Amino acid sequence: MSLDLVLKAEGITKSFPGVKALADVSFDLRRGEVHSLCGENGAGKSTLIKTLSGIWNFGTYEGSFFVDDTEARFSGIADAETVGLAVIYQELALVDEMTVAENIYLGHEPTRFGFVDWDKMYKDAAALLDHFGIDIDPAERVGNLGVGKQQLVEIVKALKKESHILILDEPTAALTEREVDILLKMIREIKARGIACIYITHKLDEVFAISDRITVLRDGKTIATLQASESSKAEVIRHMVGREIDDLFPYVKADRGECLLEARNVSVESDEGQKVVRDVSFQVARGEVLGFGGLMGAGRSELLMNVIGAFGKRSSGEVMFKGEAFAPRTPQSAIEKGLVMVTEDRKRYGLVLEQSNGFNLSLSSLTEITASNGLVDVNQEVSRNEAIAKQLQVKAPSLETVTSTLSGGNQQKIVIGKALLCEPDVIFLDEPTRGIDVGAKLEVYELVNALKSQGKAIVIVSSEMPELMGLSDRIIMLSEGAVGGEFDREDFSQETLLAAAISASENRNSGETHE
Amino acid sequence: MNKQLSLRDFSLFIAIVAIWAFFAIISPSYLGARNLSMLSIEMSTTAVAALGVLLIIVCGHIDLAIGSGIGLFGGMAAVLTTLYGWPAPAAMLVSLIAGIVVWTCMGAVIVSQRIPAFIITLGGLLVFKGVFWKVINTSTVPVNLGGESNLYSVLTTYYLPSTYGYLLAVGVTMAIGWATLKGRASRKRHHFEVEEPETAFYKFMMKTIGLFIAVTVLNMYRGVPLSGVILGATAVGIYVLTQHMAFGRYLYAIGGNEDAAMVSGVPVHRTTIMAFSIAGGLVALTGFLQTSYAGSSTTSVGDLMELDAIAACVIGGVSLKGGRGTVMGVMAGALIMASLLNGLTLISAPPEIKFITRGIVLALAVWMDVRLNRK
Repeated sequence: MSLDLVLKAEGITKSFPGVKALADVSFDLRRGEVHSLCGENGAGKSTLIKTLSGIWNFGTYEGSFFVDDTEARFSGIADAETVGLAVIYQELALVDEMTVAENIYLGHEPTRFGFVDWDKMYKDAAALLDHFGIDIDPAERVGNLGVGKQQLVEIVKALKKESHILILDEPTAALTEREVDILLKMIREIKARGIACIYITHKLDEVFAISDRITVLRDGKTIATLQASESSKAEVIRHMVGREIDDLFPYVKADRGECLLEARNVSVESDEGQKVVRDVSFQVARGEVLGFGGLMGAGRSELLMNVIGAFGKRSSGEVMFKGEAFAPRTPQSAIEKGLVMVTEDRKRYGLVLEQSNGFNLSLSSLTEITASNGLVDVNQEVSRNEAIAKQLQVKAPSLETVTSTLSGGNQQKIVIGKALLCEPDVIFLDEPTRGIDVGAKLEVYELVNALKSQGKAIVIVSSEMPELMGLSDRIIMLSEGAVGGEFDREDFSQETLLAAAISASENRNSGETHE
Repeated sequence: MNKQLSLRDFSLFIAIVAIWAFFAIISPSYLGARNLSMLSIEMSTTAVAALGVLLIIVCGHIDLAIGSGIGLFGGMAAVLTTLYGWPAPAAMLVSLIAGIVVWTCMGAVIVSQRIPAFIITLGGLLVFKGVFWKVINTSTVPVNLGGESNLYSVLTTYYLPSTYGYLLAVGVTMAIGWATLKGRASRKRHHFEVEEPETAFYKFMMKTIGLFIAVTVLNMYRGVPLSGVILGATAVGIYVLTQHMAFGRYLYAIGGNEDAAMVSGVPVHRTTIMAFSIAGGLVALTGFLQTSYAGSSTTSVGDLMELDAIAACVIGGVSLKGGRGTVMGVMAGALIMASLLNGLTLISAPPEIKFITRGIVLALAVWMDVRLNRK
């Protein structure tokens, strides 16, 4: 191969039932370069990574890729590691209670006569850390390190396996700026040693700070591969979003009624005391869809979860619901007042998976169908459940089917049905179409429009820009917990919205250069 | 909710038959009227305690303080009756309330301070044991003075006259029949799967015949024991609570997925505390039964009963992770535990063999549960 290629992928196509996640993607990586992958959520970045790293076994995708001129036919991550390809995921895979050295050598402990050779382990770990110029004590407990240093340990752990291809999947998502600087410095050093990196991030600043080349994916296709030195942020954004919004989003206009919910200057702290929402104000009226956009971790879910009383501590601000001050201590009281939330993570916050569909559907509204003798009126329960399941076109053998056996789209309909059975006035929908197929998505969109026409107030959070723009009457972009901009429907454009989503880090950067 | 007969339910039945056959071969009097009557009384104590801990385990917690609580509240009622001359009903009522209050407090601490139930109830196990010994002054306090019977002493010594026993059986049969018909009609109306009429009828007949055989056998000795009636009432109560009330749904939801339950508007804290309150009441009730059965409150009453209760739950298919478990399962589990203990006592097995056997049966039951669930 020319140009010292260490990895070359040709015509990779990967399909899931109902979705083509990757369509004829080509990608290559040169020795000692940093090649960034950019694209919106759902563009196919993680599918590509999973293919290259062996999570999707050989044979489950079309096309082929070569590592060092040899065709890769991985059946598992271990195969990828054997040929020197390592992946570092956003979620850390370290054991907090163990020391840095123990973590680095976890599963590969040096032994002597069958016993762990602790002296050798700590000496080797110290040498390894020193080799990469990282100032961390190998005897330190990993839990005591900041997230940034943990990330560095993770990288050392990956490189110890003699990898020469390193894939970093959003490594800086949870890092402070100082930590990002350390990480970028380290990447430059390993690059100088001839190790090639595939770098994935939402932060375009980092992309341009570190990359040699940039590949933009959109809708599972390679849109462009650019030389970083000859490109610009604007060009990358244009490639990322450059598509027409089609009729997938049948927008309807409804009469805007009274304002139902108003939040003024709300700030939220997580249970760990981190400030995740800063000074956000918004209002939503009957017959209106308010959209919240922003990058992952922008504080959208945390804001809504706090308003319904399910998350964190409201450190400032107030919420008015139907003209009254509103600070529910549990979601139960929010539901009683007429505010319900369909959460983002349906497996964690939405469903009791091992119970039946009927159980899940009526869980939030059992008090309404409890007779005066304290017993749940089963006839009424089943009738209501049947009606809502029919309305939402839930495809399941029966209401007695265990919910975990349904497809993602139908599980999501159960969660939505449960919320609608509470007969709410305001509905929060957090990423209502994540992980469901296109047909089910369209049904969700139509439902949102129908609810809006019925005079419900809807707040929707979505990371998919076309979806957000297609459904919303108004959009507020959050950036690092604060409002980055508020837009009326006629002012929607992907470029301005995306700019607002990254405004906080832009402001901070420009602020620093002026100081 | 799950109507089909699983391999698991069937395995419990086989286990009971095997245990009974084993002991009957060694000692034929095991299946005699007298011993079966004893067995039903012994089972009632284990089962009432197990039904209480069922609520706690289903919502994802554990209770290790049951045994000490049984001793404490039984001892408290005995002291009030015998040493302070209170009427037995008043003494038991006050002890019952004490049980509810103490368990409610434990529940509240567990929920509000987010301390694992394992720790709080382990502390309870020790504290209540100490308080118990203090209350009875580490002596033996009889439940009645000079052989004079009172409500407390008759809890496990009173038997229904045989006519009443049969009347009770007829009443229960009619209730089962009515519930079966009503349930079928309701399921048909909603187009759910309904058992073949013949199957349903045979099942009903089997229950009826079983019930009448049981009453007849018990009548051959002294009649249906009062403690059996108490257990039946408790079981029906817990069944209704778990299967037909919002509270029960909430328990399963919390045990199945606490985060989802919270966001769905389930009153997680209130429901959990309530589960402890009810369990506390049942612990006190078990205390009365167990102390009454022993005839007096002594330092060893209630020893290790928390483990028998938890074992009965686990054998009966209650998941220790929460979210799964039924009254019928717990009853079967309690019957297995009681049958084992009773049989071992009958064949005069030394105490060390009793411990070992109970331990092995528990481990076997869990191993089987894991195996059967994996498929």
